[in-house]
This record gives sequence, structure tokens and C-alpha cells, in this order.
Amino acid sequence: MSKYVERFNTAERVLHWFVAVSFLTLLLSGLGLYSRLFHGYFDLFGGGAGAILAHKYAGAVFFFSSLMLFFNHAKEMFTFDEDDRKWVGSLGGYLSKKPNHINSGKFNAGQKLFGIFMGIATLLLGVTGIINWIPESFPRGLVQFSLLLHGLLFVWFVMLMIVHVYLTTIGNPGTLEGMLYGNVRRIWARTHHPKWYKEIGGE
Amino acid sequence: MAQVRVGFLVDTSRCIGCRSCQVACKAWNHMDADKTVEKGSYENPTDLTPNLYNRIRFLESADDRGDVKWLFMNERCVHCGDAGCMKVCPAPGALHRTKDGIVVFDKEKCISCKYCVSACPFNIPRYGADDKVTKCHLCFDRVGAGRLPACAQACPTQTLQFGGRDALIAKAKVAGKKLYGENALEGLGVLYALEGKPEAYGLPADPSIPTSIFLWKDVVRPLGILGFWGSVAAVVVHYVTFGSRQLEEDGKGKGGDANE
Repeated sequence: MSKYVERFNTAERVLHWFVAVSFLTLLLSGLGLYSRLFHGYFDLFGGGAGAILAHKYAGAVFFFSSLMLFFNHAKEMFTFDEDDRKWVGSLGGYLSKKPNHINSGKFNAGQKLFGIFMGIATLLLGVTGIINWIPESFPRGLVQFSLLLHGLLFVWFVMLMIVHVYLTTIGNPGTLEGMLYGNVRRIWARTHHPKWYKEIGGE
Repeated sequence: MAQVRVGFLVDTSRCIGCRSCQVACKAWNHMDADKTVEKGSYENPTDLTPNLYNRIRFLESADDRGDVKWLFMNERCVHCGDAGCMKVCPAPGALHRTKDGIVVFDKEKCISCKYCVSACPFNIPRYGADDKVTKCHLCFDRVGAGRLPACAQACPTQTLQFGGRDALIAKAKVAGKKLYGENALEGLGVLYALEGKPEAYGLPADPSIPTSIFLWKDVVRPLGILGFWGSVAAVVVHYVTFGSRQLEEDGKGKGGDANE
């Protein structure tokens, strides 16, 4: 029996990395717009005008790829069962040293909530992004609010991204393999997603 | 501060709506005429444009006997002490303040984000075909050479009085004028002596940086940087206290590294 089970197929992985790379581009090109403190990041794009241009292109890629990722998993994300409620109640066991024995499916409750936030935030960032892009076509009050919301969502997004990267790398060893190569070790699947492991025929 | 903050006193009671200021500004700044449409008013153009840094607002109303009454107001950048445009501009130097308090723009440095358009409490900045910011720069080039701004030079009625801001305020107070813009936004560089309520001239009664812009730049921006470092700290603290989650071996056949 193979030591590995498939977690994400090629299409899923490619889509995820489209989202990730476009996000990174958006982050680097947008930092200078967020605050003059980060003005130096404009140089990566040959200046502010270049950064804005890159932000628009990367924004389009991010908007569609992230929403596609969201809709591909929408059904799983919006299905919460008793085990998911247990996960939320114990915060996934992350504030304890004891191993947690929550019977999570393919995605645990934290991942589901993260996915839902990503979907909503992507939609709102896209809409406010377009308003900020062509402000002359919208009422001034709306553009002002849109600038505020874009900045606020960006902040939440980055904060969650730090947590996301931590939890999928050093926080939970063995997780990144799934997004890089598609397969995870059986022991990883059994530890983190026992219900899913059973569903796909694990013992 | 050695340098005196300069500005205008716009005494609307003296304005006759001749629009010499508009024409002189266009002449000095080499700006083309805009094609306009006749709308049944002497007001022309009816809004600031990228080719029009100041204009006279014509406000018509009927007096008690039903006769037409006019209010005239010189609309332009008022060179706020706390300027919303400068607060939001992400391109250093694209909008900046000269030593004598004038808010000027530099098209070479403008990156066309248009944030200033949304942040201005008075809706003044305009973008032209080149997608760069324009607005009244108070003829900083002329002022720097000791001359009057073009509009003030052309004004035949001394509606536009240019000078040191403090001296203008003192003079207006001696004359018993009520001033608009003395303290708002850390003092406007362009002060108005109005003959009625600000709203009657289309001016905000209590001008301030738009609330959303304030929240964006003065609340979200600093808290966001705090949030970033807070998240990094939380993750690091979690790693060194609770540590990473170990994979659980169970009774049946070993998985993981042991089997490699």
C-alpha cells in the first residue's frame, strides 16, 4: 500500500498557486499605495505608475482565480457538522499542547471559515478595486468608503495570510506537501482529517 | 518659522462676477479654453476642469420682491493647512507644500492614482487627458518671484486680496468681516468673507477631511501595520509555546518517517 494519499489534484494545485502568486504581486505592488512608508516597493515595478498597472493586471488574475477556488469548494465550506462545531469550540486544539482528536473531514472548521472569508473578501476587494480604479464614474462618498474598505480588507487579508502560511508549513509539518506535490502521507491524513481519511478508504 | 504663510482673502461682497481671474489664470498657465454649453446662466464653465484652476460660481436666487439676486464665489483650491490631498497621496512630492504654505502639484511625480480627488474636502483636483493631477497652485512661481498671483493681479475690484495670511485675517477683522476658513483644517490658505451662510455658496459649513478618508489613513493604516506585526508575533509565540503539531502514530502499521 502506498504511503501517500492524494489530497489536491493538479488542477486544484495550479489554481491555488495562481491565487498565491497573484496575491504576492498585489501585495508588493499595493504596499506603496497603502502607505508612503513602503514607497520603495514601487521600484520593483519601475515606479508608482508601473505598480498601479501591475496591481490592475494581478487584481484581475486574483479576482477570477480566487473566486474559482472559492466556488469549487463552496459546498464543502458551507457544510458544518457536529465535529466542526467541536473544532470551533476548542479552537482546533491550537491553544493546547495535547493532541486533539477532532474528527474533521477534508477541511476542518478553521479552513472552512478561512475559505468563506477569502471568497467574500475577494469579491469585495474586486468590487472596491474597480471603484478605486475609475473613481470619476462613481459618487464621491462611495469612492471614499471604497478606499477605506479596500484598505481594511487588505489588512485582514495579510493577517490571515500570515496565519495561513504558518499553519501550512512549520505549524503543521507535512501539510505543504499536499499543495506542492498533491499527495500527503497517510499518517498526516489520519492525524489531521480522520473523517476524510476514512472516506477515501484509509483504515 | 521664518517664512510667512501666504494666502487669499476672498471678499465676496466686492465680486462683480467679471471672471477676469479665470481668464488671467488661463493666460498665465497656458491653458486652452473648454468648449461649454449654454445653460441659461452667466456661469461659465459650470465646473472646474483640468484647464480651469479657478472660476466664479454664480448663485442665483430671488429676493423678497422676486428680483434676481446673485452671489459670486471664487472656487479654487483653498490650500488647507491639513490637506486631504497631501494626506492620501502615495507619491512623495507629487503634492507638496511650499515654504510659504502653498499646496502645489508636480505632474512628473504624479502616479495617477486619483486618491487626491476623493480626499479633497472641497472636490477640487481634476485629472486631464494626461491622467495627471491639476489644481490651483496659487501661482507659486510668480509668488516666489515677488509678484501677485495672476488672478489677484487681474481682479479689478480687490475681491482677491493676496498677502500674508495673518495680516489678511487681521485686516478682515478690523473691517468687521466674518471669515470662513480661519481655523478649519488647520486654517485654509484661502479665506472667504461671505455675505451669507457658507451653504449658500456651495461651501461645506464645517469643512473636514471626509470621514472614510480619515478612518482609512489615520486609523486603518497605523492599526494595519500593528496588525501585521501582531500576527507575526502571535505566530512566533505560538510556535515557541505550543509548537508544531506532531503526526500521531497509532497501533496499526507505522506510517511516516519511521517507515522510510
